[in-house]
Amino acid sequence: MRAPASAGVRAGATRALALAAVFAGVGLLPWYSGRDPALTVLRARSAEQEPTPEALAAIRADLGLDAGPVALLADRASGLLRGDLGTSWVSGTDVLPSVTAGLQVSLGLMGAALAVALAVAAALVAPVLVRGRGTSGMVAAMLAAVPEFLLATVLLVVGGVWLGWFPTAGWKGPVHLVLPAVALGVPAGGLLGRLAADALPAVLDERWAELWRAAGVTRARVAGGALRRVLPPLVPQFGLVVVGLTGGAVAVETIFAVPGIGRTALGAARSQDLPLLQGAVLALLLLGLLVGGAAALVRHRLLGPGLRDAGLTLPAPRPPRVGPAVPVVLAVLLLGMIGWGLLRDPYAVDTATRLAPPSSSHPLGTDGLGRDVLARLGHGAAATVGTAAAVCALGFLPALALGFVPNVAAGVSDIANALPPVIVGILVAAAYGPGTGGAALAVALVSWPPLAAHAAALVQEVRASRFLSAQRAIGAGPWWVLTRHVLPSVAGPVARHALLRLPGTALALASLGFLGLGAQPPAPEWGLLLDESRAYVERAPWAALAPAAALAVLAALAVSAAAYGASARTTRAARTARTARKVPSRVR
Amino acid sequence: MNALLEVRDLVVRYGAALAVDHVSFEVRAGETLALVGPSGCGKSSTAAAALLLRRPDGGEVRFEGRELTRLPERDLRALRPAMQPVFQDPYGSLSPRQRIRDAVAEPLRVQGRWDAATGPARVAELLARVGLDAAHGLRRPHELSGGQCQRAGIARALASEPRLLVLDEPVSALDPSVRAGVLNLLAELQETLGLGYLFICHDMALVRHFADRTAEMRDGRLVRVS
Repeated sequence: MRAPASAGVRAGATRALALAAVFAGVGLLPWYSGRDPALTVLRARSAEQEPTPEALAAIRADLGLDAGPVALLADRASGLLRGDLGTSWVSGTDVLPSVTAGLQVSLGLMGAALAVALAVAAALVAPVLVRGRGTSGMVAAMLAAVPEFLLATVLLVVGGVWLGWFPTAGWKGPVHLVLPAVALGVPAGGLLGRLAADALPAVLDERWAELWRAAGVTRARVAGGALRRVLPPLVPQFGLVVVGLTGGAVAVETIFAVPGIGRTALGAARSQDLPLLQGAVLALLLLGLLVGGAAALVRHRLLGPGLRDAGLTLPAPRPPRVGPAVPVVLAVLLLGMIGWGLLRDPYAVDTATRLAPPSSSHPLGTDGLGRDVLARLGHGAAATVGTAAAVCALGFLPALALGFVPNVAAGVSDIANALPPVIVGILVAAAYGPGTGGAALAVALVSWPPLAAHAAALVQEVRASRFLSAQRAIGAGPWWVLTRHVLPSVAGPVARHALLRLPGTALALASLGFLGLGAQPPAPEWGLLLDESRAYVERAPWAALAPAAALAVLAALAVSAAAYGASARTTRAARTARTARKVPSRVR
Repeated sequence: MNALLEVRDLVVRYGAALAVDHVSFEVRAGETLALVGPSGCGKSSTAAAALLLRRPDGGEVRFEGRELTRLPERDLRALRPAMQPVFQDPYGSLSPRQRIRDAVAEPLRVQGRWDAATGPARVAELLARVGLDAAHGLRRPHELSGGQCQRAGIARALASEPRLLVLDEPVSALDPSVRAGVLNLLAELQETLGLGYLFICHDMALVRHFADRTAEMRDGRLVRVS
């Protein structure tokens, strides 16, 4: 067994390396994007000045761009070591104060969002603990699938404009915190609650729980014990959820005009303000590293020696019972809607019927240009869901493989995780221009770490279980143990997790589209549909509700289909066992 | 008579702690050596090291005269089937995902002795030998009682055609009525197959009844061999 110290050093080295790579990647952006930062900076500084060659040359000399990429990077890196993040190319002010100010705001927002998330997760887990049975997880999946940007928009309109209870923009006090925190926290809480509620039924069926109940231990203490048993594999997920909040924060901060680090990074990337972008991205990465490290520590504290020496056995999976009716109805609903939409023209503009409510000629109404919402939804499905499915399938295998090299994976994935898809989307879009391919690449680059973390946790638990020693004893080689025992134990749950993340991936793509970094108008992409409908969500809510409802149905479908598949397998097994018991043989 | 398993000056360390301190003993074919002592005295560490499931930090382990501790894992793999463990926790030592039938067939497949024509019959024979029938073979570990599960574990060990069984508290997790059945099964198997047993146990009464010789361990050392 490797010494923990050397493993820690290796993981630290991987992280440092990845950090340096991202730093250099951001710094070299202007060189591989083929765009001239001098022109951008000139425009930002003064709108009137003509971009003459002399003026551009002066700016290049001023920014030190003449020295070439390597010298600029070296200069920036040595500044970083002295605690100097440089000066903004656009405003000419120091980067460090803007970054720390943004980070403070974002940390406050994330803390409040985390409190909301925990409350939501607790509300989702409580029924499972009380009843001791699993649920199909529909409510949680629906909550997890609500896009932050849509939730934020709806909250802004309902709580801010219609009811007037909360301010809609700015950052002046706790009242300003409410709407953004709820918009950020609810989806995160849905995901956390779903993962915990998924694992709990099997744990509550374990022998120790039976024993505790039989011995008259109170329900509350059994529930507490079950939670403690379930938490260790979920802690890495929890860390990822926390970091994921920074990604959601970009959209939420933008919608509510909150001066946080996410909005700073987005603005800096849009104006090609490289020093500010580097500072903001570095701050996000460090935040992610700290949270990832803290999660690893907590997990180690919770499991301790149980991680070594064959101390852990896995509960046999006991998925909740779901009939075939739910997924079939949802699939028919979704496919029917998409099929119907595909028959219609998504591009036909009819300005006479702008923002029309649902009618027989336009079953879901029309958008701001009088285009049919149903048609755009159907055609958008191919773009959004198709791309998301491809990204999930492509991410599954690398994630599974990386689960076996947790030290390497942890370092790289901490970096990938601390980078919200939005930021990667900005970097990719800055380099190759916005588009569906770029958005898919951006989401693929950052979407595998939760899967890899899950795989790594499962691999570690399986490897620590006793029956693997029994495999070695019969002379099984590492390949046999891997392919017959470790992989089958890991691949199923991770595939289920990948399926669970399909709606999330679709939403990441949609959120890039929403921010103008994915598919470009007039393409009928779901994120774009939401963005386009945002301007008139008060007057024509159906235009925004339709794509949101479609994504929610998709999420519910993915979850219920996976639950049904698993429960069908155990029902078969139980039936076999019942038949077997009828044979009159008692071995005692 | 030659020793089946011969352990000389075995040392196992966990960090600075010395779990097994220069332990020596031997097990002959057809006999049972009981290794007794209070929990935490190093019995299970001795068993794991004797099976080379954990590389010892010192000493020699000879199986049928062959020194094992310095063999590379690849060569060891060919010798492992002859020495099989039976663990204390009947549920934890079988994969929760496998049917009993497949768990018993696995050693045959791993060791390249599986034949589609005769394999199923061989598995049924092994199950019958430990008192299980074909219907039990279709179940998974959590669908069996503890005693049935332990019998399945023994059938799986027998599939490797071992000459030595290392029984690590094989009946401690079972209730007394089931315990006698499993012990009788082990005694009968020893008689018909001529197996050597290293029987690890903390129950002196049981040991007196079951073992030919007894080695007593305390704090990692052998204090008495009879």
